[in-house]
Amino acid sequence: MNTIAIQAKMINRRGDLIWALTAGVFCLVGLIGLGNYLIQGHDAYNVYRQVPWGILISTYVFFAVCCTGLCLVSALGHVFGVEAFARVGKRAIAMAIIALVSGFVVIGLEIGQPLRLVYNLLSPNLTAPIWWMGTLYGIYLVVLLTEFTLMIRGQHRYVGYASLAGFIGGVAANSNLGSVFGFLDARVWWHGPFLPISIIITAAISGCAILILLFAHRYSREKMPADIRRAMTISAQIFALLLGVLIFFQFWMVMTTIYGQVPGKRDAMMILLKGPLALSYWGFEIILGMLLPFALLLLSRGKSLSLAVAAAVSTLIGLFFMRYNTVVAGQLVPMREEVDAVGANGLLSYTPSLTEIAIVIGGFGICLALYFAANRYFNLDEQGH
Amino acid sequence: MSKPRTKRWVMVVDPRKCIDCKACDVACKRENKIDAKGRRDTYRNWITSNGVEGVYPNLKQRFEPSQCQHCDNPPCVKVCPTSASYQTPEGLVMIDYKRCIVCASCILACPYDARYKSSQTKVIDKCTFCIHRIAEDKLPACVDTCPTKVRVFGDLNDPNSEVSRLLARHHYYVLKPEAGTKPSLFYLS
Repeated sequence: MNTIAIQAKMINRRGDLIWALTAGVFCLVGLIGLGNYLIQGHDAYNVYRQVPWGILISTYVFFAVCCTGLCLVSALGHVFGVEAFARVGKRAIAMAIIALVSGFVVIGLEIGQPLRLVYNLLSPNLTAPIWWMGTLYGIYLVVLLTEFTLMIRGQHRYVGYASLAGFIGGVAANSNLGSVFGFLDARVWWHGPFLPISIIITAAISGCAILILLFAHRYSREKMPADIRRAMTISAQIFALLLGVLIFFQFWMVMTTIYGQVPGKRDAMMILLKGPLALSYWGFEIILGMLLPFALLLLSRGKSLSLAVAAAVSTLIGLFFMRYNTVVAGQLVPMREEVDAVGANGLLSYTPSLTEIAIVIGGFGICLALYFAANRYFNLDEQGH
Repeated sequence: MSKPRTKRWVMVVDPRKCIDCKACDVACKRENKIDAKGRRDTYRNWITSNGVEGVYPNLKQRFEPSQCQHCDNPPCVKVCPTSASYQTPEGLVMIDYKRCIVCASCILACPYDARYKSSQTKVIDKCTFCIHRIAEDKLPACVDTCPTKVRVFGDLNDPNSEVSRLLARHHYYVLKPEAGTKPSLFYLS
């Protein structure tokens, strides 16, 4: 073995060590959060009667949407025949499974009685969007596992069918996740078709962003093959286009909301525009999540991998905050007069507790650890077929 | 075709009589063995002040007691994934506690803020109209205890019941009619 090869191996080992340590520390923080939750139950969370959904719900939404996004991007190769994407599917599907599992862990710690989910089967309520969302994501996980198994075994004849099922399942599960919010008439900020529709756009954006990060990491110490490089360029270009669409959606969502005086709806929008969530909205969701990555991608026309990586990191941070803003802003306008928890500004408030934050960090730790393990124990590099 | 209801339990509230003594809240907690454990957000019923009306010295303050509205078209039942929230044949909205996964979507679906996560029972809780007392031909605890008889409880399907007669004689309103929930609490105006 020559000196360069030995050095490369050592660097790889060092890189692996950093990843493993980061994942380990994150998981440890998550375990501390879990411990406190097991001792105190829901009292360890800062959610309460008027704001029952907090950062754990928004983090679950983030993971679930990322999962669907990866599946949509993977389908470009296996379902829609975009050749450049033929070799990115396996890694994308592996990460989709990991993201969904991480999301399930986080929401499992938010649901007060997760073992009673058996009643989802024993006494299902078909009018409940959460029933559809939960059931579809459950089936979807099985489809993704099947697809991944077929990919690992090299049964490419069937991968296309599994990928098509994954694509349909992903769209169905994801838009149903949007409907969990969109069907709530009482919460005017969420109610309507906007969330079930726009969530698909954000899914595809997160899929492109994560795909770019996965392959930039994979080929950080060796030359990226030409077809993978081409897939990255196309991903970056789709990413930019969809960011443009999202900015357009966001503009009209804001305009239609502040133009009207619908009680509750306008108030929730103002919480984001100049209220307690203004920094989270403008700084993270709009600038980091949309404008900065859009500018970076336009600047390079998607051809610079390093700019695409920067755009991907920026967007994913922004999307995390977008979920948080959507979930929290929808609850801060009180439903009735004289609620004890209302502050001087006439609004409710919510700040995640340390336990909630620790569990969120733990969720990301699980995600990193599982990807690290998958990368080590499976061959995630796909041959062209 | 669904079977017509033999009974429809409703509550008629006369807010003008309410003196904000909160005996209803105390009676509810005692009757239903609710331990708030010091939490200010643990209650099945509450009283809202509608503020001071009039010009000095002719001032008056009006209160509005409220609770689960036992809606005829309950959004909380629609969104419950495990059918833990359900409607009885008499129109009461109930929770089968053993099926509740505490996803909290019912809390968010309720336009009246009537539900909460109970740190005592670890599931979602709300007013039951004291269904166990109704079975014994007793009035709900909040109705029974009210010193000024703000609340009247009865069967709206019985034309001779006090609730039917009150609603026939007086103007009344329901809370948030625009929500389309068809509440079973009627407020005399």
